[in-house]
Amino acid sequence: MDIATASKLSTLLMWAWLLPLASFVVILFLGKSMGRHSKFGGYVATGVILCSAALSFYALFGVWLPNNPLADASHSSEEVHAEHSEVTSVHPVAFLADHGEGESKGHEGAADHGEGGHGEDGHHANNKPPQSYYGDWYTLGQFGSLKLTIGYYIDALTVMMFCMVTLIATCVHFYALGYMHDELHDFTDSEVTLSDGTNLKRPGRYYRFFQYLSLFCFSMLGVVIAGNVAMVFVFWELVGICSYFLIGFYIERHSASTAANKAFIVNRVGDFGMLIGMMALWSSLGTFAFGDLTDTEGHVVEQGIFSQLRSAENDYHLQATDSVVAEQNRVIRPSADGATIEDPEHNTAGQWLLFIAGVGIFCGCIGKSAQFPLHVWLPDAMEGPTPVSALVHSATMVAAGVYLTGRFYPAFTPEALLVIAYIGCATLLIAATIAITATDIKRVLAYSTISQLGYMMLALGLGGWVAGMFHLITHAFFKGLLFMCSGSVIHGVHTNDMTEMGGLRKKMPITAYTMLVGCLAIIGAGIPIIGPGFSGYYSKDAIIEQAWSYGNSNPHLAILKWAPIVGAFITAFYMFRLWYMTFAGKPRNQHRYDHAHESPRVMTVPLIVLSIFAIGIGWKLPITNLNTTALLEQARPVGTLATTQGVLLPELVIPNEHDSHAPAIKWAAGWAAFSTAASGVLLASIIYLWNLLDPKELKQTFRPLHSWLWNKWWFDELYGLIFVAPTMMISKTASWFDRRVIDSILHGSVTVCKGCSKVVYAVFDKTLVDGMANGIAGVTWDLGLWLRKIQTGNLRQYIMFIVIGTVVLFIAISFVQQTI
Amino acid sequence: MNLSEPVVYLSLLVFLPAVAALVLALLPRLTDDAFKCITLAVTILVFILSLGMFRLGAGIDFQAGVAEMQNLFQVDWIPTFGIQYFMGLDGISFPLIVLTSFLCVLAMGASWPINKHVRAYCILFLLLETGMLGVFMSLDFFLFYVFWEVMLLPMYFLIGIWGGPRREYAAIKFFLYTLLGSVLMLIAILMLYFNSDLTRLNAQQMVDAGIVTVAGDSTVDASFQAWVNSEDTLAQRFAEIAAETDPARRRQLHTFNILALQQMGQHTDLFEGEALLGKSLQWWAFILLFIGFVIKVPSVPLHTWLPDAHVEAPTPISMILAGILLKMGGYGIIRICYPICPQAGYDLAYFVCTVGVVSMVYGAFAALAQTDFKRMVAYSSVSHMGYVVLGFGVWSAMADTGYNADYWKMGVNGAMYQMIGHGISSAGMFFMVGVIYDRVHHRDLNQFGGLFAKMPVYSGFAVGIFFAGLGLPGLCGFIGEVFVILSVWKYSYVLAIISASVVILTAGYILWAIQRVYLGPEYKGPNGDALKPITLRELAIAVPLMVSAVVFGIYPDGLLRYMQPSVDRQVDQLAAWTQAYDERETAAKPLGDEDGQMASR
Repeated sequence: MDIATASKLSTLLMWAWLLPLASFVVILFLGKSMGRHSKFGGYVATGVILCSAALSFYALFGVWLPNNPLADASHSSEEVHAEHSEVTSVHPVAFLADHGEGESKGHEGAADHGEGGHGEDGHHANNKPPQSYYGDWYTLGQFGSLKLTIGYYIDALTVMMFCMVTLIATCVHFYALGYMHDELHDFTDSEVTLSDGTNLKRPGRYYRFFQYLSLFCFSMLGVVIAGNVAMVFVFWELVGICSYFLIGFYIERHSASTAANKAFIVNRVGDFGMLIGMMALWSSLGTFAFGDLTDTEGHVVEQGIFSQLRSAENDYHLQATDSVVAEQNRVIRPSADGATIEDPEHNTAGQWLLFIAGVGIFCGCIGKSAQFPLHVWLPDAMEGPTPVSALVHSATMVAAGVYLTGRFYPAFTPEALLVIAYIGCATLLIAATIAITATDIKRVLAYSTISQLGYMMLALGLGGWVAGMFHLITHAFFKGLLFMCSGSVIHGVHTNDMTEMGGLRKKMPITAYTMLVGCLAIIGAGIPIIGPGFSGYYSKDAIIEQAWSYGNSNPHLAILKWAPIVGAFITAFYMFRLWYMTFAGKPRNQHRYDHAHESPRVMTVPLIVLSIFAIGIGWKLPITNLNTTALLEQARPVGTLATTQGVLLPELVIPNEHDSHAPAIKWAAGWAAFSTAASGVLLASIIYLWNLLDPKELKQTFRPLHSWLWNKWWFDELYGLIFVAPTMMISKTASWFDRRVIDSILHGSVTVCKGCSKVVYAVFDKTLVDGMANGIAGVTWDLGLWLRKIQTGNLRQYIMFIVIGTVVLFIAISFVQQTI
Repeated sequence: MNLSEPVVYLSLLVFLPAVAALVLALLPRLTDDAFKCITLAVTILVFILSLGMFRLGAGIDFQAGVAEMQNLFQVDWIPTFGIQYFMGLDGISFPLIVLTSFLCVLAMGASWPINKHVRAYCILFLLLETGMLGVFMSLDFFLFYVFWEVMLLPMYFLIGIWGGPRREYAAIKFFLYTLLGSVLMLIAILMLYFNSDLTRLNAQQMVDAGIVTVAGDSTVDASFQAWVNSEDTLAQRFAEIAAETDPARRRQLHTFNILALQQMGQHTDLFEGEALLGKSLQWWAFILLFIGFVIKVPSVPLHTWLPDAHVEAPTPISMILAGILLKMGGYGIIRICYPICPQAGYDLAYFVCTVGVVSMVYGAFAALAQTDFKRMVAYSSVSHMGYVVLGFGVWSAMADTGYNADYWKMGVNGAMYQMIGHGISSAGMFFMVGVIYDRVHHRDLNQFGGLFAKMPVYSGFAVGIFFAGLGLPGLCGFIGEVFVILSVWKYSYVLAIISASVVILTAGYILWAIQRVYLGPEYKGPNGDALKPITLRELAIAVPLMVSAVVFGIYPDGLLRYMQPSVDRQVDQLAAWTQAYDERETAAKPLGDEDGQMASR
């Protein structure tokens, strides 16, 4: 590790990361005193994020690239795929058989496996760990060899994510300076009606918005720079709480605060899974670190997760360490007698534990990236102001789940990847179908976001690491753009409902055409096979190619091959439905149309900037060989460039990503993607542009289907029924149990005690009265009264009795002892 | 007599409030505010005294990074029974003492709205502080018990006189529960006392028990011999008994010294004799002590006194109750139960962990159902203190983990951290509830709303403190919870998974409460006009709480450096004990029985 570069990069990115925190603190303490009507908060936050962006870009262009020059990506990948395609197409069967053998031996001896691998002509040659810089800043706690730290792990992906997040955040900040101007003066919230029938009037909270936004940027960048899983978790939660604040920004609206709660709690469900994964990892490997800690001379002092699981001796193939195997045997205990542990048939060699750890970590990603079945919070999160939707709920925070999946990639077993693929596949289809019927412009985009995140997860699950991360980057730009355009529309017409829009392109041309760019980018428009195209064209085709290649290797998993293609059709349909309903045709609500206006320049300039990126982020920069995929290729996780085979599911094969560039696949997938997207646009045009089919009639014809989709597959109702209601019932039962059962037992025993004492009192009293002289009886009577007083609760005496009793006891004992 | 002697300094720390209480009782009638001011000044003085120990190089200080007891002193009190006035500090008790003195200042500050019998209130408050500090400092079991009871009585009156409408019920309930715990504890104390024998300890163990002090360059054995030959009463009795060579006539030298009892529990078989139903003496002692302590923690099912006590108690008393009194249960478990009765602890570890997990889950569920704000916070305490019991219980240095105590250390440190963190966040939460209760005089969660608009600064602090309770990173609740949860898997993955699920419920009840109280368009309950912004006095209490919540959230080392060495040392000792015990058990087993060996491979 190059110390100078490492310290330079970590310092640069640390400042880019911490500056927003400073902004948060400044606005927290000074925001209000600067006056509610000042733009102070906005300027501070915007200035700071601009600095962060500058630092990030300097880190990329000034430090990273000079030290880590890009390979000529297109050239090398062509070469690699040529070599691979030949091998795979000629001997697929032989290759699989050979590989299976190698893999099943895998756990027995690394040397063995390495030999078997290298014997073949190179397709076992696995990629080395990417160039990365790792270090600790701060220790939270250390217990023996266990250490929880705050540190950094910087590779090409980190740097690129920094640039992406800060750039989009900068655009959003500028945009929000204009969008939030309502908050500069007293704000009348037309959505909140007070008990006296008037609308709520409240002071503006302009600075507060930027305060949260700054905290969010800090947390998000913290997730990106995190050097270990625990630190990811810390910032993961902080991102969640920022999202809570931002969704619930309109705290007076019940729907907003409910949506904020829902988002946080649903995310916590994911975090529950993540904690399980973390526990499994922590107990087996004893570390959370992504990278290896080296001393000043470059010797590895502490191994991270990845280098433990994918050691160089094992040719970077995933192999459970002894500690993982031991932990699995401890936890799962394969059988009572020791024999079967050695039995290769039953010995999964720690794979189950790695599977649990991987799926557990992925659960966190399911929550954060709104994947099925935890996708329900994201559409509701649209209650927040639109800049929030653009930054938090499309470009960055929800992408954090995908980012973590990509970051944690080397530790996922093939089976865990299959789970990821299935989740992604389900998500992309479910969300896309719901988007078809939604009429709230932001909700359409929300479902579209979920669906696109599903694409990314699918790509990662299918082995397409670069494809998935590439889509993450391109999607961030065009989805941020789309959301900001929708915000501009909402700002112009003061409604979210697309059924009240129409024809707006004449009133707001910049918004309309930048949004068209966004739509074209998201559907992946471009000239098939040869390009050029919008950014989505490159990333979506890469995903579909990988799916195609995966489908070829795993014929039994064909659904994973076809899902993205079907998804492309639906995406094209609902995106153009959205655009047509909003901007084309005749105005549906003349009043709103008449009052519509283009947004101010502070809002449209960011739109234009983002649309440039939405078009060109997938392109190769002229003259240089700089392009996004080449940069991503630099960060390719260790050991992911080999075709791998499942251990628990031996028939599962994750194909090498470079195989998907084979001309045969590229050609077929390219045309499939193009034709489905084109037909989606065509169908949307037929219905919403040329009005050849009446949407209302269609709705009638497909009534059950429409209501199924309109009600979002009834997920909210289902969860209410099977999770929320039972939880509330259990909690009521617990409360009831306390009051009725535990306390009743307590009260019952008190009553019994009282009763006993009364009986004793009565008997005692009567016997004495009958048998003794009146004088003595009188004394007893007094004594009885006195005793009763004690029993009725003068508790000072209770204590006194105990003390006296104790002392008397001791005196008695001491006498006894002395006599002995 | 100077302040650099532990006996003077620590006695001053403990008894200053009691002396002040006496003075208050004798003073002529003053205004209420004067009484409050005097009391506040005393609590501040005590806080300064406790902070004084941070000053390195002073006559008396508490050194970070030292695992052993510091500032020990012992004075004979009732020599016939070996009862001593014996106190000292280590990393386990010191943070709790600072927390106690800190929270007492804040709680006194929060006592200003109290206008009934102010003099009596102040006297009882100060006596309570003496009791609490005494419990954390005493190392003599008898002394511990006396302080434990001393603390009980003022608490009873503070709830029973200054409480809400059902105060008498709540006070008696609190009293009976705690009394039950005390009685069980007393039985256990006597059981241990009558089976203890100082003469069975060797020189090193006598040093560890704090009885023999090793002077600078002397060896352990030499110091021990010097002690035996000294004029000390205890030493003379020790020599007298040890001189008896006939085992049949040899008497036992009983002791209440907690450190000595720990040594006996870990290094001798004194407590291993069978007592009842085939279980050993220490097994029963552990059970009795554990019940006594979990009543205080409190754990399900012995927790029902807590919601009632909290609901009825005035705000400052709730703060002390949640912030400090509950910690005594945890302190007792880590200081007394485990080190004195390791065999029982090992045997019952799963039971203890289960109690912790059940409390976490049950408390969280019950909190979700509450409509009374204070009751909800009270149940959240039950849930959060479950982490403490769980963390103490994760006895993960076992044969199948190769006696690796690292995860166990993490759990116990996490539990200790959680005690401090919860001390801050729960006291803060009760204070926050108290602030609005003082204004609107009700606590119905469904009759709030819109407080952010009326009391923005207060609401900001309140939400911050509630997030600390929720376990948000960067605030004090997070560190302890994460340490505990991550450590549990190594002991039992089932319990680990159940305990991890609590994060969802916690988020549920806290966010729901925040939504109902602070968010929303308008206030829905009675006395809305009284909702005035936070006063300076209230701010002066909220700020230190919030600041410490943040500091402990982002700078755990600040606490761990004092606490961790002592905790690690105890865990290491118990892990060593476990290994020795297992080896002994395996050796004792007949050949062919390979149960334990399978797991250890």
